[in-house]
Amino acid sequence: MKNTGQLSRRQILAAAGFIGLAALTGCGSGDGEDAKDLSKKRTGAMKNHRSGQQFKATQPLTFTVLHNDNPNYPMKESWLFWKELTRRTGVTLDATPVPLSDYEKKRSLLIGAGDAPLLIPKTYPGAETAFVSSGAILPVSEYIDLMPNLQDKVRRWNLQPEVDSLRQSDGRSYLLPGLHEKVRQQYSLSFRTDILDQHGLALPTTWDEVHTTLKALREEYPDRYPLTDRWSTNTPFPAGALFQYLGQAHGVRAGWSYLNTTWDATAETFVFTGATDAFRQVVEYLRKLVAEKLMDPESFTQTDEEAVRKLLGERAFAISANAQELVQNYRYNLQRQVKGATIEMIPVPLGPAGPVVMGGGRLENGMMISSKALERDDFVALMQFVDWLWYSDAGQEFCKWGVENTTFTRSGGAGYRLEPGISLMGSDPDAPKDLQKDFGFHNGVFTYGGSWKLVSSSFGPDEKKFTDAMAARKELPTDPPHPLRAEEQEQATLWDTPLKDHVTQNALRFVLGKRPLSEWDDYVKELKAKNMDRYIELHNQAYERFKKENA
Amino acid sequence: MVSTIRPSRGYRVFQGVNGVILTLVVLITLYPFVNIVARSFSGEKEIRAGDVTLWPKGFDLTTYEIVFSDSMFWRNYGNTVLYTVVATAVAMVLTTCYAYVLSKHHLKGRGALVGIAVFTMFFTGGLIPNYVLITSLGLKNSVWAIALPNAISVFNLLVMKAFFESLPSELEEAAQIDGLSTYGVLLRIVLPLSKAVVATMVLFYSVSFWNSWFSAFLYMDRTELMPVTVYLRNLLAGATGGTGAGATTENLTQVNANIQAVTIVLTSLPILCVYPFVQRYFVSGVMLGAVKG
Repeated sequence: MKNTGQLSRRQILAAAGFIGLAALTGCGSGDGEDAKDLSKKRTGAMKNHRSGQQFKATQPLTFTVLHNDNPNYPMKESWLFWKELTRRTGVTLDATPVPLSDYEKKRSLLIGAGDAPLLIPKTYPGAETAFVSSGAILPVSEYIDLMPNLQDKVRRWNLQPEVDSLRQSDGRSYLLPGLHEKVRQQYSLSFRTDILDQHGLALPTTWDEVHTTLKALREEYPDRYPLTDRWSTNTPFPAGALFQYLGQAHGVRAGWSYLNTTWDATAETFVFTGATDAFRQVVEYLRKLVAEKLMDPESFTQTDEEAVRKLLGERAFAISANAQELVQNYRYNLQRQVKGATIEMIPVPLGPAGPVVMGGGRLENGMMISSKALERDDFVALMQFVDWLWYSDAGQEFCKWGVENTTFTRSGGAGYRLEPGISLMGSDPDAPKDLQKDFGFHNGVFTYGGSWKLVSSSFGPDEKKFTDAMAARKELPTDPPHPLRAEEQEQATLWDTPLKDHVTQNALRFVLGKRPLSEWDDYVKELKAKNMDRYIELHNQAYERFKKENA
Repeated sequence: MVSTIRPSRGYRVFQGVNGVILTLVVLITLYPFVNIVARSFSGEKEIRAGDVTLWPKGFDLTTYEIVFSDSMFWRNYGNTVLYTVVATAVAMVLTTCYAYVLSKHHLKGRGALVGIAVFTMFFTGGLIPNYVLITSLGLKNSVWAIALPNAISVFNLLVMKAFFESLPSELEEAAQIDGLSTYGVLLRIVLPLSKAVVATMVLFYSVSFWNSWFSAFLYMDRTELMPVTVYLRNLLAGATGGTGAGATTENLTQVNANIQAVTIVLTSLPILCVYPFVQRYFVSGVMLGAVKG
C-alpha cells in the first residue's frame, strides 16, 4: 500500500512538471524584443505597399496557414487558386487542412501547444480572447500601419467603432476581422404567398400586420397554427432566428445574437438585456401569438425537420427562413409536393425601433496571426500579403471569383459571370466544373466580407431583393469597447451562463404561458439574485476604465 | 419405456409469455437500426414526409454514389482498416504481456505495476501535454500516433488479468516440469487456453479503434491520413451546417436528408460482419474474466 502511495505522488509530480512544461511551450513566444523595430524583418517586403496596388514579394516566400476543410469542396493541391496566388504575389501558402466539423478544437490545441501555423483564419470575433493571455497570438492592432488596404476600408466604411470593439483589456486587438461595407441580414419570416393571395391578404410589413395576417389565416384554417418555427434544437436559444429578428425590430439583441449586456446610448451605460423593456415587449409579442393560437407552441422544441414537414404538409403557412433555405428547401420541396405553391421571404417586419438593423454586424470571421510571425525576417511581407489577399479589392475579387477570362467574365460594369462550364452552388447543374471544388475559389477560408458590390454579386434574385431592402435600414450604434481583464473575465464567465440560462428559460415559459407575465418583476428579482447587478457593474467599470485609459 | 415429463401448464404459459416479451425486446432493439438502413436508401421527399419506417421508400442511392465516388472516401476507409489492424495487434501484444505478468502473485512490485496502470484511469496529462509529447516523439502523421498512446486499455487489462489468475497454476507448473520456459508456458499453454478472452479483447479493441476519430483528428495533419470516421463526420457537418453548399441543389437536399443514415450504415457494417464470428467467444470471455476462481 505504502509503495503505491509513493508512486502516485511521484506520478503527480511528474504530471505537474509536464503541465508546467506545456504551459512554457505555449507561452514561449512573448514579445521580449523591441516589437516595433521592423527594419530587420523586411525580407521579401515591398518598399511601397499602397492601397489598391498589387502586392508582389521581392523574393519567393512561403507562409503556413490553417485551412478549414469544407467537405463540399475538399482541399486539393491542384487548385488554380494556389497556383495563381503564387504567380501574382510570389507567396506560396502551405496549408494544413483541418476538418470543418472540429476546426475550433484543433485550432485551440495547436495554439495551446505552440504548433499553430502563421495564419489562422476563420476565427469569429470573440474567439480570440481565450488565446490572448498566452501570448501565442500577435496583437495585430500594433501593426495596422503595414496594412493600407485594411486601413482604407475601415476609413471609407466608417468601421472604426466596430474595429475598436475588438480591443482587449490591454487596449490592443488580436483579430483581423472580415469587413463588410453593409450589414448583411440573412433571416426573416417567409409566407406562403399563394395562400395569402387566395384569401386577399397582403404580405405584412410590420409586426402588427404580421399579427393581423396570422389571425386572418387562423380564421380561414381554424384547425391549424399559421406560424410554425424552427432553429430550436442544438442552440442555447430556441427559435433563435425568430427571437433575433423580432428583437432587432425592438432594438434589442435576442435569440441567437442574445448578449447579457446592452448599451443604453442615452444613459451612456450598459444595462442587462433580459431585464429591458424592449426584451419584455419581444416576449409579450410572442406570448400574444401563442395565446391566440397563431403560433405553434411546438415551435420552441421541435427539430427543423419537423417544422419543415409542417410547412410542406400545409399544416402551417409561415416559417423563419434564410435565402438558401427558402430556395433550396422550402420552395424546391413545396413545388414538388403542393401544386401551385409559392413562398416568399419578407424584409424583417418593422417594430417599435423603426427601420433599423443591429450594430456591429459588419464584422465577420477573420484572422489571427501567430506571434511566431514576428520572429521571422519576412514579417513585414507577411502583413503586406495578408493585407492584399484579404483586404484589397483585387485580392477579394480574386478569392471570390478567380481569374478573369478563365473562371469569370465581367458583365455590365458591376456584375460577374462565370465562364461557361463552371458552376457555383448549383447555378448550372450540367456544368462539368465547379468554381469551389475544382478551382478553389469562393472558399470560406479566403472569401469573406468586402464591398457591397462584391458581396451581393453572388446573391440569387431572392437574396438580392431581401438584402437590398434591408440595406436601406439604419444601423444602430455599436457597443463601445469595454474589455474585461483576465481575472474579471473569469468572474464574468461564472455569472454569464447562469444569467443567460435563466433569461432563456423564462422567456420561453412566459411565451408558452407556463408563467404569467404578471410575474415579470419576480423574474427580474431572480436575475438580481443571480448577480445581475454585479455583472453589469463589472462591464460598466471596464467601460469607464477603457474610456479613461484610451481617451 | 421412455417417459418424458410433460411440462406443467404454468411453465408452458411462462415460456409463451417469455417468448413474446423477448421477441418484442428484439424488435424494439432492431427497429432503430432497420429504420436507419431504410432511411439510407430512401428518397429525400419520403424521409422529410416521415414515411420511411421499415422499408426504403422512393429508393435513392445518390448519397451512396456521392460518398463512394470520392476517392478520398476509399483512401480513408483503407486508413481505418490499417489503423485498426495495427493498433489492435500492438494493443493485444502489450495488454497480454502486461496482464500475464500482473497475474503472477509471486512477482515483486506487482502492486506498483497495477498502481501505475490504475493511476492512468484517474489522471491524464491532458490534451495539450499529450499533443506536445506525441509531436516531440515524432509520431505525428504516422500510424503510431494512434496505436501507441491507446495501446493499453486499463479496463481490458484488468479483465485479462482476472482471467489469467483464474487459470489453475498447476497447469503451468506441470508445463514447467515438462521443460517449458516462461515464454513457452505463455505461448503454448496459457494463450491456447485463453482463446475466449483473447477474442473478446480483440473485439473490444478493434471496435474502439474502428470507431475512434479523435486521436487521428489530433495527430494527423493531412486529409489523406484521416480515418473514414473523420471523413464522414466532416461530411455530416458540411451537409447539416448549411454553409455554402457545393453540391447541386437536388443532390444536396438528398444528401442532407440521409447522410446521417448512410454514415451510420457505412461505419457499422464491417463490425456487424465480424461480430457473429467472434460473438460466441464474447459471452464466455467476459464471463470467465468476471467470475474469478
